[in-house]
Amino acid sequence: MSNQIRVEWFKLQRNRTFWILLLTSTCISALLHYLVIIDWWQMGNTAFDSVDLSEMNALSTFTVPLFFNLIVGTLAAFFISNEFSQSSVIKNQIISGSKRSHIFLAKYLIFSLASIVVTILIPLIVGIIEVILLGYGEIFTPLNLLFLGRALGLFSLQFLGYTAILVLLAVITEDSGKTIIFSIVFTIIMFAVEKLMRLPIINMLYENSIFYQFSEVFKCSMTYSELIESILIAFVTIIILIWCGIYMFNKKEIK
Amino acid sequence: MSNYILRTKQLSKQYRNNLALDEVNISIKKGEIYGFIGQNGAGKSTMLRMVTGLSLPSEGSVELFGNDNPRELTIAQKRIGAIIESPAFFPNMTALENLEVHRLQKGVPGKDCITKSLELVGLNDTGKKKIKNFSLGMQQRLGLAIALLSDPEFLILDEPTNGLDPMGIVELRELLKKLNREKGLTILISSHILSELHQLATCYGIIHKGRLLEELSAIELDEKCKQHLRIKVDQPTKGATILESALGTTDFEVMPDGTLKLYSYLDDVRKVSKTLTDHQLVIEHLSQAGDSLENYFSKLVGGERA
Repeated sequence: MSNQIRVEWFKLQRNRTFWILLLTSTCISALLHYLVIIDWWQMGNTAFDSVDLSEMNALSTFTVPLFFNLIVGTLAAFFISNEFSQSSVIKNQIISGSKRSHIFLAKYLIFSLASIVVTILIPLIVGIIEVILLGYGEIFTPLNLLFLGRALGLFSLQFLGYTAILVLLAVITEDSGKTIIFSIVFTIIMFAVEKLMRLPIINMLYENSIFYQFSEVFKCSMTYSELIESILIAFVTIIILIWCGIYMFNKKEIK
Repeated sequence: MSNYILRTKQLSKQYRNNLALDEVNISIKKGEIYGFIGQNGAGKSTMLRMVTGLSLPSEGSVELFGNDNPRELTIAQKRIGAIIESPAFFPNMTALENLEVHRLQKGVPGKDCITKSLELVGLNDTGKKKIKNFSLGMQQRLGLAIALLSDPEFLILDEPTNGLDPMGIVELRELLKKLNREKGLTILISSHILSELHQLATCYGIIHKGRLLEELSAIELDEKCKQHLRIKVDQPTKGATILESALGTTDFEVMPDGTLKLYSYLDDVRKVSKTLTDHQLVIEHLSQAGDSLENYFSKLVGGERA
C-alpha cells in the first residue's frame, strides 16, 4: 500500500492539471478575497458574517458544490480517468502485482489530499494572508479561529465523501470528458433536489447527506449531537462509497 | 516447488455472446521461450490479459509459480514483467520518470535498476525527451525496459515487434535469447508473425478462435515441418533395409502405418525410386512432403492464413 501511495504522490507532483488548478485556485481566491475585503463585492448573509468574519466571505464561494466541483471534477478527470483511457497506465499498476483495493485506496487518498489543498487550504491560506496584509488581522480572535477550525474541519470530512464520489465516477466512466460532464450533472441534480424537491422521503435522504452538511457545518454554533451526526454522515458516506469503489474496481476489465 | 511457471486450467472467457477463449490449458516450464501463435482476434491477448490480472476468467483458473488462489496469484504477479497489447506510459514524463513510477510501484530498492534497464534497451541517452516525442520503436523498447525493470522471472510480451524496424526486431530477438540463456528468464511471447517466433521459441502453443489447437516443442514442430520423401512400398521392412544398404542412409523413419520418411535424397528422387524397384519392391506411393511453418499453421487452422 505504501508503494502505491508513493507512486500516486510522485504522479501528482508531475501532474500538469494539478499545478494549473493550484495556480488558478490561488489567483481566483486572491482576487475574490481582495474584492470582498475592499468592499467592491459585497456578500451578505454568509456563515462568516454571523461570526464577524465578513472579510473571509469569499470562502463561501469555495464551499458551494457547483463551484468546487469544477475544480475537483477536473482533477479527477485528468488525474484518475486519464490513466484508464488516454495513457492506459492503469494496466502497468495492475500488472505490477499490487492489490486492486490498494491501488484504489491510494488513488483516493492522494486525490482527496490534492483536492483539499486546492479547494480548501489554498483559499483559506490566501484569505488569511490577505486579511492580515490589508490590515484586518484583528478579526481573528480565538473564538473565530475555533469556528473556522471546526467548520472547515467538518467541511473537509464531508468533502472526503464528495471526493469518494468523484473517484468512483472516474473509475466507472474511464474518460476525462465524461467524468467532468457527469460530475457537473450530478451536482446540478443535488442542487435541484435541495431547491425543488418536496417529497418527504427525498428530503429526509437529502438532509442526511453530505450535500446538506456542506452548509450545515458552517452554522455559527452546533450542538454536540449535530456534531456527531455530521461526523457520522461523513464517515458512513466515505465507507459506503469506498466499498462500492473497491468492489467495482475489483470487477473491472482493464482495457 | 512446481516446475511450471504458468499453467492454465480450462481457462475460458465469455464476452456477452462471444466466447473469446474456450477451455484453454497451457503449460510453460521454467526456462522455456513459449511462442503463442494465433491470428488476430484468436484470443492471444485475452489469454495474456487474464494471466496478468487485467481481466478475470469466466471459468477455469490460472496458476503462476505454483500458486492459483487469488491472493497468492497477486503476489506471484510481482515476479512477472509484461507488455500487454501496447506499452503504456505517461506521455508528459521522460523515460527516466516513467521508469521511476514503475520502480516505486514494484517497490524495487535503489535507482540503479533504472539505468540498467535503459542501457539494456539502448535508451540511456534520451535525457529530458518526453515520451510523447518518442518514435513507436523507442516506445516499444521503453515498454520492454519497464517490463524488465524489476528483474522478473517470467516475461510476457504481447506482439512486441509492433512498430520495430528490422534492426530493432533482430536486436529484440537477440536480447530475449540472451536473457533466456544468461538469466534463465522464462518468456511467453505472442505473435501472429510465425517466422518471427520460429527463430526464438523453444515451444509453441497454437490458438485459433479461442481454442488451443496444439502445444508442441520446437523440435516436434521442426520434425513436422521437415522436408522428406514419403515412400509407401509393399514390404516396409525390406524397404528400410534397402535404403540403408543400397543408398547408405540412416536418415529415415518407419512410421507405424509402414510409410517410410526419408529425409535425404530430396534432390534425387529418381535414384531412390530406381533403387527400390531394382530390389523388386512395389512402390505404392512416392512424394515429397513436409511443410513450411506457415503451411503447417495454415493446415492446422483449416486453411485460414495467419
